[in-house]
Amino acid sequence: MNQIGEFSLFLALATAVYGLVCYAMAVKGNRIDLYLSADKTPLIVWGCVVISSAILLRAFLINDFSLEYVWAYSNKELDIFYKISSFWGGQKGSLLFWTLILTSYTAVVYFQNRKKNLEVFPYALAVLLAITTFFLFLLNFSTNPFEVLPLPPEDGRGLNPLLQNYWMVIHPPTLYLGYVGFTIPFAFAVGALLTKNLDDGWIRLTRKWTLVSWFFLCMGNLFGAQWAYIELGWGGYWAWDPVENAAFMPLLVATAYLHSVMIQEKKDMMKVWNMSLILLTFVMTIFGTFITRSGLIQSVHTFDEATLGYYFLGFLFVIIAASSALIISRLPLLKSKNELDSFLSRESSFLFNNLVLLGIAFATFWGTIFPIVSEAFRGVKVTVGPPFYNQVNVPIGMTLLFLMGIGPVIAWRKATWSNLKKNFAKPLIAGLVGALLLVGFVPLNSKAEVFAYITFVLCIFVLSTIFGEFYKGTVARRELRKETVAEALGSLVWKNKRRYGGYTVHIGVVLIFAGIAGSSAYSTNVEQHLRIGESLKIKDYTLRYVKLTAVEATNVKTRIIAELEVIKNGRHLWTARPEKEFYKGQNQPVSEVDLYSTWVEDLYVILADFREDESATIKVYVNPMVSWLWRGGLVIAFGTVIAMWPDRQERRRRLERLKKQAAVFAPAQE
Amino acid sequence: MSPKKIKFMVGAALIVGSIGYLISTSISKTSMYFVTVGELASRGMDSFQGEVLKVKGNVVKGSIVRNPKDFLDVAFVIADKDVLGGKTETKKSNLKVQYKGITPDMFIDDGEVVVEGVIKGGVFHANTLLTSCPSKYEAEREAGKSHPDGLSTYDLKDSYQKKPISAPKTTI
Repeated sequence: MNQIGEFSLFLALATAVYGLVCYAMAVKGNRIDLYLSADKTPLIVWGCVVISSAILLRAFLINDFSLEYVWAYSNKELDIFYKISSFWGGQKGSLLFWTLILTSYTAVVYFQNRKKNLEVFPYALAVLLAITTFFLFLLNFSTNPFEVLPLPPEDGRGLNPLLQNYWMVIHPPTLYLGYVGFTIPFAFAVGALLTKNLDDGWIRLTRKWTLVSWFFLCMGNLFGAQWAYIELGWGGYWAWDPVENAAFMPLLVATAYLHSVMIQEKKDMMKVWNMSLILLTFVMTIFGTFITRSGLIQSVHTFDEATLGYYFLGFLFVIIAASSALIISRLPLLKSKNELDSFLSRESSFLFNNLVLLGIAFATFWGTIFPIVSEAFRGVKVTVGPPFYNQVNVPIGMTLLFLMGIGPVIAWRKATWSNLKKNFAKPLIAGLVGALLLVGFVPLNSKAEVFAYITFVLCIFVLSTIFGEFYKGTVARRELRKETVAEALGSLVWKNKRRYGGYTVHIGVVLIFAGIAGSSAYSTNVEQHLRIGESLKIKDYTLRYVKLTAVEATNVKTRIIAELEVIKNGRHLWTARPEKEFYKGQNQPVSEVDLYSTWVEDLYVILADFREDESATIKVYVNPMVSWLWRGGLVIAFGTVIAMWPDRQERRRRLERLKKQAAVFAPAQE
Repeated sequence: MSPKKIKFMVGAALIVGSIGYLISTSISKTSMYFVTVGELASRGMDSFQGEVLKVKGNVVKGSIVRNPKDFLDVAFVIADKDVLGGKTETKKSNLKVQYKGITPDMFIDDGEVVVEGVIKGGVFHANTLLTSCPSKYEAEREAGKSHPDGLSTYDLKDSYQKKPISAPKTTI
């Protein structure tokens, strides 16, 4: 059975190469028969990869430890959910998983577009096939998931307990769905360049793909942060680890792309910029997976395999070189009809937004690769850590926050003094009022606290511009149609899903900014060794150590649980139960923190150590406003779903537009 | 160039320039050398006196000593992984570390750690202690489960003999 899986991968590779060659020859010789032959190859490749994936999954589920990969990441006692998630737990399986998603997305693109007779379509498919070929090449010749052990062991090695939680089930897949999704707009962009079809057709075609991929990438990042916070138990959610940065940079570049394409659609400007941005986004996704796998940069996450790194590096080089050459060769066709009129306009604020987002991405990139660069130039590795990223990204981030209040509201082309007054007077007043009110509540003793204060004021400013937009729109509708507030608001949003969905996403982003500011600047912690009955104090909480219990959860897992009574203002608030889990066959436990989360702050309790006399070392954090991050994430998710929702009117308009487009490869038989 | 274009170039240059300035000053203020224990030994500890340094190494077996009075005060020794593996421990490439704080769960003998801190009086005073999130499950080795590459003859025999081999009984 496993041999079928291995062969299936080989078949996929052969088919992909065949399809590529056919497409290339079809274009060159204008041969429709070759085009038709190549047409079905994406589906065949997809089918083969699905079969291989199913067989690998089966191997996990039936405990087939003859496969090295299954042995390495699973064992008989592993819960079925974790057996499934072990599929993407290691190098080989995660590559197969990536390929599975890529080919599945390609299949969807195929079905979405096959009846539309678009000139760009076969080119886009060819690009997708080429990228798929790279991954299949790796799977066949470098990291084969069906590698067999000479002597099948009785039982597997098992999944690291640190990975045995539900985040392992959702975080990697979500990230991958995001990463891989950006391949689609990239492929269509290249197709547009190749066919010289450089209006915004390819952008409209891939808009939903971009949104969906952005959504998954954003959620993937947030899941990673939540995982770090809840499971890894060091009190924080982001460490500027190279692999975290690798997931963050594509998100930033993709956000820039998401915004600048709006300018191209509305004003037909920034075409070269958009081409470059989608290329950069795709490159960053590959770069991200390269960092994770090559061990080139020290990280707490790295898989190993140095050779794989070289393959990825080569792939990156080819993509960047080929795409750049293509963009440069089409430069005359990418000239815009319009140009920026004024410093104070929506176009320029979008441009500034892009520059700022790219600035954060660049700073993060620089900090991430700095060790390699410094080693190359100075012979010794020099690293930068969170202080660097915070010093650079915080001011830039605050500028971004400010721009978020300006961009959606400021006038197109050229904002006059009167429309600046109309749009910004109230939000600025709201900001000032907020600033004055907050001064009383918020301590301003350090640089971090001052930055947090400024961030809060900016948040108030941005929120008032957004609420202003909702308010103005609702009022206008009510005047025209005599609807109730609810009806007006509802249909306002529903008739303009992109715009108001986007505004909702902005609200979520503001919440996240506020949460980051609050938790970074005002976090405190205390660690103390306690005997039973003793207490520790932090802020206005008292934690009294009540008892220590041992529970045999399963026949391999023992939980040691410390119970602490949490008292606030003299009243019992909560019982904290931080624990350490011990797994048989492993001499290192896994900490499970306990968390009491409110809008105001998180009370975060860690059982660091315990002794035979039942005394324990407890560390407690009070992290203000961390829940704002997760709730902000929910708002972003909600807003993105609204923005993505299909719009019947828009769809009708689009179909009309497409019917008018010329079809070069219209098949002879329809 | 039109005055409008010049304004935009200036504006963009300001943004790019300030970001670049921010990056370079932050790097010079917050960067630190990242060396292995062996590299540190070969360069000499004195060359890094007073500077914040990041060192990677593996915990030498049995070297973890906790202050009996304060659990959070821990001393240990780290060395390069290949030195440990070869079972030779040259005194030169050992580094004594002193750390105050909660140790991560993966802080164990032979575990890979990265410490940040300063060298004072021949001892590395660490203010940060990081361990790797392993995708390989190293600790299993101690429990007796073997890695496919390291099958000892004893294990080989066991795996072959999945069914008890019954010698044919000959009765004469």
